Amino acid sequence: MAIDPIKNCPFNRDDSPFGDVVLSSRARLARNLDGFPFVHRSSSSDCKEVSSLIKQICEHQPDDAILEWVNLDELDAQSTELFVERHLVSSNLANATHPRAIAIGPELSRSVMVNEEDHVRIQSIRPGLQLDEARKDVEALDERIEEVIAYAFDEQLGFLTACPTNVGTGARFSVMLHLPALRIIKDLQRVRNACEGMSLAIRGYQGEGSKAIADLYQVSNQVTLGYTEEQLCSIIANDFLPPVIEWEREARKSVASNQYSKLEDQTFRSLGLLQSARMIKLHEAMQCLGNIRLGVCLGLIDSIEIKTINKLFIEIHPAHLRHIYGIDTPDAEIHSLRSDLLREKLTQ
Amino acid sequence: MTTCDYCDQDAVYHDVQIKNGVHKTQNLCKQHANEAGFLIDSVNLSIVLNIGESDLPSKSTAVACSDCGMTIAQYKEKSLLGCPTCYETFRNKLKHIIAEVQDNHLQHIGRAPSSEGVDVNRHLEVLRLLKKLDKAVNQEEYEQAATLRDQIRELHDGGDLHGN
Repeated sequence: MAIDPIKNCPFNRDDSPFGDVVLSSRARLARNLDGFPFVHRSSSSDCKEVSSLIKQICEHQPDDAILEWVNLDELDAQSTELFVERHLVSSNLANATHPRAIAIGPELSRSVMVNEEDHVRIQSIRPGLQLDEARKDVEALDERIEEVIAYAFDEQLGFLTACPTNVGTGARFSVMLHLPALRIIKDLQRVRNACEGMSLAIRGYQGEGSKAIADLYQVSNQVTLGYTEEQLCSIIANDFLPPVIEWEREARKSVASNQYSKLEDQTFRSLGLLQSARMIKLHEAMQCLGNIRLGVCLGLIDSIEIKTINKLFIEIHPAHLRHIYGIDTPDAEIHSLRSDLLREKLTQ
Repeated sequence: MTTCDYCDQDAVYHDVQIKNGVHKTQNLCKQHANEAGFLIDSVNLSIVLNIGESDLPSKSTAVACSDCGMTIAQYKEKSLLGCPTCYETFRNKLKHIIAEVQDNHLQHIGRAPSSEGVDVNRHLEVLRLLKKLDKAVNQEEYEQAATLRDQIRELHDGGDLHGN
């Protein structure tokens, strides 16, 4: 893989609207090629044919839009895991055995997954609240693919997907939220109720089936049919998020004024631990980073940037650590290398 | 255990015939089955079902997708459809499933593929029809194969596929 995953990260950028609460925004479109069975019913030669069609499209783009093509069945386990940690490849796709691929753009922010549950899954991740921009990214890629191939489309049901839960727009928009103060004042139920009222799903950091870690929550649309892509984005960006951002900010102010000692202790205890530990597990490190992030947002720490913490949330995962410290690092040394990286990045 | 129609012995041969909706059963012990010319192993039970053509379940209960062969029962195992044509094949059944997962929405109002790039789309359509034609010929479905051949000719006659 020619792209360096550490140098190329959406969190390197400074533009991160509402970045105190919204970590990142993601848009994804699911598409299938007309005339081919869906992936789980496809033969190996069908998968190869789909893959070669998409490859030709991705590689024949204007210079600024070329995507790097990676055949996942030829990629080593370490690099595949790295893509999973970046949410560019799903675990299902990583563990599959049929011909499959990913086309990735600069910053590893835009990508096209080939032969996942659907033939094509176009994705864009941006820092902060940039859902509409992420939507435009995927729609631009979608238009380029659609110029060359025929998508499976039905006038009534829209884009046809392997699972009816994606039919219609095939669009899934999501935001990663950091809600530590609402957890502290025990008011997260308000967010869950808002999700329920707007047909949104709320999940943990790793998406479907995952638990909340470091007070990070992923919120996405459940319904994909009967709304335009703009409307689906707007439900999250304009209806759901403004009050939730306000609730979290108010909760932070309340914690800062009513529970200052506790907040100060939690922040500096977490920072002290990450600056001193010689071995640390992923979950504990994530939780400490979440606590420090709240302290940074409330001005208790000014020597650490929010984007440093956002990047560390990713870089402390095993495949990223192996990328930095050496691919042959045994499992037993990962906890130790994680603490090395954290000390280096947080003690400056 | 059912007894033999001719004696008090246990029946080991069961013949069920259904014709024009009328069920006719015959239960025989080993001896009477052998006398009637049916060879029955001492261990195995033999059950013969003779069902008339008109008594077979109607096709609608076991309908399979014409493109990929998937049935609605197979869909329910994984909650994944087999191919785009499945949406057409199971439109009525899927309507309820889709309404349930999509908050009762049943009409797409979002983006649609543009009409540009038609020539290339026609290329793919020919490719798709050729694959179906190949399958039809292999399965000796010559009537369908002739229809597909005409559709391919029509697409070819519609213009130069290479856009020259």
